[in-house]
Amino acid sequence: MFGELLAPRYLHWLFDGFLLTLGLSLLVCVVATGLGALLYLARTAPARWLSTPARLYVLVIRNTPLLVQLFFWYFGVTALLPEALVTWLNTPRSLALGPVSLDWPSFEFIAGFWGLTLYTTAFIAEELRAGIDSVRQEQRAAGLALGLRPAQVWRHVILPQGLRTALGPLLGQYMNAVKNTSLTMAIGLADLSYASRQVETETFKTFQAFGFATLLYVLSIAVIEAVGQLIQHSRHYRRGVA
Amino acid sequence: MDFSVIIDNLGYFTWGAYPDGPLGGAALTLLLSLLSGVSAGVLGLAWGIALVVSRGWLRWVLVGVLGFLRAIPVLMLMFWAYFLLPILFHVDVPALATVVCALSLIGGAYLAHGVAAGIGSLPAGQWAAAKALGLRPGQVLRLVILPQALPIMLPSFLNQWVSLIKDTSLAYVIGVGELSYVATQVSNRVMVHPVQIFLFVALVYFLFCSALQWLAHRLARRVPSRSHR
Repeated sequence: MFGELLAPRYLHWLFDGFLLTLGLSLLVCVVATGLGALLYLARTAPARWLSTPARLYVLVIRNTPLLVQLFFWYFGVTALLPEALVTWLNTPRSLALGPVSLDWPSFEFIAGFWGLTLYTTAFIAEELRAGIDSVRQEQRAAGLALGLRPAQVWRHVILPQGLRTALGPLLGQYMNAVKNTSLTMAIGLADLSYASRQVETETFKTFQAFGFATLLYVLSIAVIEAVGQLIQHSRHYRRGVA
Repeated sequence: MDFSVIIDNLGYFTWGAYPDGPLGGAALTLLLSLLSGVSAGVLGLAWGIALVVSRGWLRWVLVGVLGFLRAIPVLMLMFWAYFLLPILFHVDVPALATVVCALSLIGGAYLAHGVAAGIGSLPAGQWAAAKALGLRPGQVLRLVILPQALPIMLPSFLNQWVSLIKDTSLAYVIGVGELSYVATQVSNRVMVHPVQIFLFVALVYFLFCSALQWLAHRLARRVPSRSHR
């Protein structure tokens, strides 16, 4: 069952898959955090026409499986988009920025990124809401009574406290995002899970293939956890707690 | 939008090939989530109690295993179960059992800390008073602690069940004919209307999940009012 290690070629496949997983998760986390903040603002806006759609969005995204959402974007929406756009999205091209050239991502990557981002956004918005709502109303009133402008109250009173509470759950969502990228293999994106499956079918060294992939996932989660611990023990963070 | 593809395949979406073939579709999704929900509950309860009562290295091993289970993607765990179960038991394990095994391990690992927290939320006096009455540790847990802690934990069990329903869709990757798998089958067969098919499937999942979520909310509201009495 254990046998010898994998040939360098297969390790290379796994490593390529890992890089794709990392890149995709990073991109998803960054974009989803920005969109999540906007969604939070819409969700808590006094205007009904903003808050109701935002609430519905969160409800629908959170109560349907990510896999079905990915299928919907990959198989479903492709059928709706105009032919010319799909061809355009599928055409390989590269963007040259001086010495670095960026290859146009595959259509699977675009669909996976889109689906994962929309999914993660809903969860991040809810974590932000939970964190910021945990700051008591009196804090806001006290800030205003001190003569701060509403923007200053946000900047100096509410956000520092709310984000501190939200940090743990937010990091949890980033971990989920890394794990969720594994689902993109179902739409044919060559991520780490896809690579491990491919190496397994090619070499029949199941234990090594899955073991290596599992190790890399655990490693990335551990790194996020460690970053969280570092932030929570940093002087800047602790100053507010004391 | 033309939804005739849904109407035409409604039976297949609901039951799969049953009764001429194996059960599939939405019924299998519900069955899978029910089985894995119950076993995840049992595992979570056992691990949670073990977290509370164990000390020293045993506790660290348990924390490590639970952390590991939560750190790997459900998909990876399904691959592992698919590959390891037949080796461990020396028999052909049906794919269905593989899915239930993987999902209950994950669900149990997520529940364990909730269970431990629920038990920890009871005042220490409860343990002391029960011991003073001459109950053995097992009896303290069974007769005093759990009857009070379980209602507190119930909403988190239901919430975990909601995520298990969503996670059953991953059974797709090892070829179990639940709702998502059936949907891709139909979509590949008819080659038209993928939007309608996946919208419909999403709606079915949505109804299952939000019904449970609603139940969890109602229970969560009722529980505190009872313990204040």
